[in-house]
Amino acid sequence: MRRAIAPRRLVRQRPIRFRLLLVWGVLAFGILGLAVNLFRLQILEAPTLQARALAQQTRYVAPRLPRRPILDSRGDVLAIDQPVYTLYAHPTLFKQPAQAIAPQVAPIIKQQPQAVYQALNSAESGIELAYSVSEDAADRLRALQIDGLELIEREQRLYPQQDLLAQIVGYVNADRQPQAGVEFSQRQALERPMRERGRYLNQRGNGALLPNNVPRTFFQQDNLSLKLTVDSALQRIVRDALRKSMQQFNAKRGAVVVMDVHSGAIRSLISEPSYDPNQYFLHDPEQMRNWPVADTMEPGSTFKPINVAIALESGAVSATDSFNDDGQIMVGPWPIENSDYSYAGARGVQSVTEIVQHSSNVGMVRMMQRLTAQDYYTWLEKIGLGQTSGIDLPFESPSYIKSQDQFLNDPVEAATTAFGQGFTINAMQLVQLHSAIANGGYLVTPHLVDGLYDATGDRYWQPSRPEQQRIFSADTTQAVLSMMEAAVEDGTGTSAQIDGYRIAGKTGTAQKASDQGGYLDNARITSFVSLFPSDSPRYAILVVVDEPQGADAYGSTVAAPVSRVVMEVLAATDGISPTLPLSDSGSEANADAEASETF
Amino acid sequence: MLQRSFSRIRWKSLAQPWHEVDWLLMVATIALVIIGGLAIRSTEIGLDLNDWEMHATTALVGLGLALAIARWRYDPLVHWYWIIYGLTNAVLLLVLLIGVEANGAQRWLLIGSFNVQPSDLAKLGVIVTLAGILHRRTAKTVPVILQAVAITIPPMLLIMKQPDLGTALVFMAITIGMLYWGNANLGWLVLLGSPLVSTILFVVYLPIWFAWSALMMVVGWRTIAWRWHGAVGAGVINLLSGGLGKFLWNFLAPYQQDRIILFVNPDKDPLGGGYHLIQSRIAIGAGGMFGQGLAQGSQTQLNFIPEQHTDFIFTVIGEEMGFIGCMVVVFLFWLVCLRLLIIAQNARDNFGSLIAFGVLSMIVFQVLVNIGMTIGLAPVTGIALPWISYGRSSLLTNFIAIGLVESIYNFRHRLKF
Repeated sequence: MRRAIAPRRLVRQRPIRFRLLLVWGVLAFGILGLAVNLFRLQILEAPTLQARALAQQTRYVAPRLPRRPILDSRGDVLAIDQPVYTLYAHPTLFKQPAQAIAPQVAPIIKQQPQAVYQALNSAESGIELAYSVSEDAADRLRALQIDGLELIEREQRLYPQQDLLAQIVGYVNADRQPQAGVEFSQRQALERPMRERGRYLNQRGNGALLPNNVPRTFFQQDNLSLKLTVDSALQRIVRDALRKSMQQFNAKRGAVVVMDVHSGAIRSLISEPSYDPNQYFLHDPEQMRNWPVADTMEPGSTFKPINVAIALESGAVSATDSFNDDGQIMVGPWPIENSDYSYAGARGVQSVTEIVQHSSNVGMVRMMQRLTAQDYYTWLEKIGLGQTSGIDLPFESPSYIKSQDQFLNDPVEAATTAFGQGFTINAMQLVQLHSAIANGGYLVTPHLVDGLYDATGDRYWQPSRPEQQRIFSADTTQAVLSMMEAAVEDGTGTSAQIDGYRIAGKTGTAQKASDQGGYLDNARITSFVSLFPSDSPRYAILVVVDEPQGADAYGSTVAAPVSRVVMEVLAATDGISPTLPLSDSGSEANADAEASETF
Repeated sequence: MLQRSFSRIRWKSLAQPWHEVDWLLMVATIALVIIGGLAIRSTEIGLDLNDWEMHATTALVGLGLALAIARWRYDPLVHWYWIIYGLTNAVLLLVLLIGVEANGAQRWLLIGSFNVQPSDLAKLGVIVTLAGILHRRTAKTVPVILQAVAITIPPMLLIMKQPDLGTALVFMAITIGMLYWGNANLGWLVLLGSPLVSTILFVVYLPIWFAWSALMMVVGWRTIAWRWHGAVGAGVINLLSGGLGKFLWNFLAPYQQDRIILFVNPDKDPLGGGYHLIQSRIAIGAGGMFGQGLAQGSQTQLNFIPEQHTDFIFTVIGEEMGFIGCMVVVFLFWLVCLRLLIIAQNARDNFGSLIAFGVLSMIVFQVLVNIGMTIGLAPVTGIALPWISYGRSSLLTNFIAIGLVESIYNFRHRLKF
C-alpha cells in the first residue's frame, strides 16, 4: 500500500525555483491587479460613482394633487379627476413572443389583435399602445403579468354630464390647463394648494419608491368640492325643451338663463350648440362658445320694460300717463314704426301698460323722449350698460352703448334705444336687469359658484360678491311688473301662460344687424323674458333663440313656450303654488296662446 | 498545583492531534467567514430573511469537519482516488438525471430538505484524482498530460451540461495549475490553453490574434522537441481556432454570448445583462475609502444588485466597508494563498503537495474571477467568492479542502510508524 506514495518531493527538483517564482508572480500580479483596480474605483472614481448611485437611488416626487371636483346644487358630480393610464410596450423585455401577447392585450384596450401585433413590431421599446386606459382595464392588464408592458398613471378630468353643462363647467386641456367655464374662472378654488414641495425619495433597484422620509401630510388632500348653483336635472329638462323648439324652427343657436332674482344664483344656463368636454378636441371652437355670456346682441323688445322702469324712476313719466301711438314716427330723417304697423296701423292713445302689452315702438320712443338725452344716457350708465354683468364665468363681453357725444347729438340714438336697438348687451346682463324689476330694484350679481364644501356638506368658502346696488324703487318695479303681467295675460306673451299662476313677461323679436350695416331680412333673434311668479317673483327666465326659420318665428312662438316649460318645472321643484283660480280648461288657454302671433 | 499541571497536561494532550496545524490559515478563513456573514446579513435586513445564520451554522459544521479531517492522515486517499473519481462522475450524472432545476440550470440534488450542489464537491474529487495520477509520474511527458486532461474532461462536460460554465472553468484552472506544479513544461501548458485565448482574441481584435499566433509559434519552436512540427502545429492550431471560435461561439447559450459581449461593453444594455456589471461597479465605487457602514450601503439596501448575497457579495463589502474593507479581504485571501503555497512546498510527498496546489489553484481562480467580475475586470460568470458568498455546498467544500490541506501540513514531518 505504502509503495504508492512517492516520497520524492517535487519542490526539491531543479527548475523548482523558477516555478515557485512564477506562482508567486501570478499571485502577486493578481492581488496587485485587484488592489489597483479597487483603488481606482473606490478612491479615484468614487465621487462620480457616488453621484451615479445617488442619482439612481433617488427620484424627485412632487405631490400630485387632483383638481377638486365640481358638483351641481344637488351634489351630482359635474367634473372629477380620475386616474387613467397610458399603456406602453417594450418588446425588448418581452419573455413571450409578440404573437402571443397581442391577442391577450388587444381586447382589453379595444383594438384589433392584428393592429396591436403590428404596433409591437414597430420599435424595440417605448411603443404607446393606448393613451387612455381606464383603471379597470389597467387592473386587467396587470393581471396578465406580461413582462415588457408598462402602465403610466396620470390624472384625467372626467365630465360625466358630457355636453349638458359644458358651457358652464368648461374643460381642462391635455396639459390639465383649464380653458373655459368655471374650470377656468375658478381655477384657484379648484386647484388644491401645494402644502408640500416635491422631495427626493429613495427608490429601490426595481423602481419602487420607499416612503421613509415622506411626511404624513405629503399625500393628504382636502375633501373640498366646488358646488355650483345650477341644477343638472332642471338643466336637462330645459335643454330638451330648448332643443325641441330649436329643431322645430331650425334655429342656429339657443340659450336659456334661469336666475334667482334675489341672490343672482343661476339655476340653469343653457347654451346651444354645446360640446362634450371629455372630447373637447373634436369640436369647433365656435361650438364651444358660451354665447349668452360671450356674445352681445341687440335686446329689442325685451329691453322695453327696463326703459319703462327708467322713465318711471326718473320721474319724467308716471304709470298713469298715456301717449299717442301713430304707428309711425319720424326721428330726424329716420322713420320708426311699430312692427305691426302694416296691419294694425295707428293704435291711438295708449297707456304705458298698453305700450308694454303691445310692444309699441312708437309709444316707447314717445315715452323716452320725456327724458333729456343726457338723463337717459346717465340712466343707461347707472344700470350698468357698457359694463359686464360680473358673472363668475370667463370671457364675458361687456355691453356696448354709443359714446355720450353720439347719443346726445343724434336724437335717433335715444329713439332706437327706447325700443331696444342701437346698443348690444349679453343675455346674462339682460337677465340681471330684469331681476332688478323682479326683486324690487336691486342689481344682483349673477353667479354660478356657490362655494367650496367639504364632504359633510359644510361650507368652507364662499366667493365674495359686490354689494347689491339699488337702481329702482319698489313702486317703479311693482308698476313695471304689473305691465309685464298684463303682457302675458293679454298681450304678446300669452303663450307663456300657465294656468293658475301669475307670470310677468315680455317677448322680443329683433332683426339681426348685418355685418355690412343695416338689418338682415330673414335673420331674426327671438326672445322671451319672464319673471315668475309675478306676485312674489323668484326667478327671472330668459329664452333666446337665434335665427329661427319660418314666417311664424317670433318671440311668442319660439321662445315663450320654452319659458313655460321652465316655469312649470320650477313650480314643481320649488313647490310654488298657484295663486289664481284654475280656469275650466287649461288646454284651451294654451290653444289660444299658440294662435296669437303678436309681438 | 496538582490541579494546574493536570489541567495543562490534559489540554496539551487534547490539542495534540492538531499540534502542527497551520493556525494562520485557519484564522484567515474564519475571518473571511465572519466578514461574509456580516455582508450576507446586510443584504437581507428588512427582508425577513436570515441566511447569515445558516451561513454561520454551515461554517461551524465546516470548521468541525476541517478540524476532524486535519486530525487524520491524508495519504490513505491515494488508494481511493479512482473510487472518488467514479463517485464524482456518478453524482454529477445523477444531477443531470434527477437534479432540481432553478434559474434555468439543473445543478442541485435534493437530499432531505437540503439542496446540495455536487459540482462544488466535484472540484475536490478532481483535485484528489489528479494528485493521485500526477504524484507518481510527473507531468513531464505528453502522455501524462493527456491522461490528466482526459481525467478532467468528463466531470467538466457533465457540469457544462447543467449548464454551469463558471464551475467548469474552475476545473480548467485546477488542471492547468496542478499540471504546472506537476512539472509540466510551461510552454506546453501555454500551448494547451492558447486555442481558447486565440478564439477570444479573434473576436476582440484581429492584429492581436495574429501576434498571439506568432508568439505561440515561438513557444512551440522553443518547447517542443520536433521544432518545426511544434512551431507550425502551434501556429496552425491558433490560426484555425480563430475561425473555430465562430463555430464554438454558436455553442454558447445566448445568455453566455451576451455576458461576453456585455463584459466588453456593458453600457450596450444597461437595463439588461449589463445591469449587473454597471450596478456592482457603482456600489463598490460608492463605498469610497471607509465605506458607508454596515447595513448602510444604499445600493445594497435598496436592492440594486441582484444575487447580492451569493455571487455579488463583494459589492456589499465594497460599498459598506469601503476600500479599507476590500483591502482587508484581499489581504486575507492573499494570506490564505500564501499559506497554501507554503504548505504545497513543504508537504511530505508529491501527493500532498499536489492536493495543496490544486486547492490553491481553485481558490486563486475563484477569488480573481469573482472579485474581477464585480469590478469589471472579468465577465459575469457564476463563480462564488470562497468563504464569503452564501452557499452551503460551496462553504462546506472549501472547509473540507482546508481540512485536507491542514492534514497535509499537520503530518508534514511525522514519519509513519
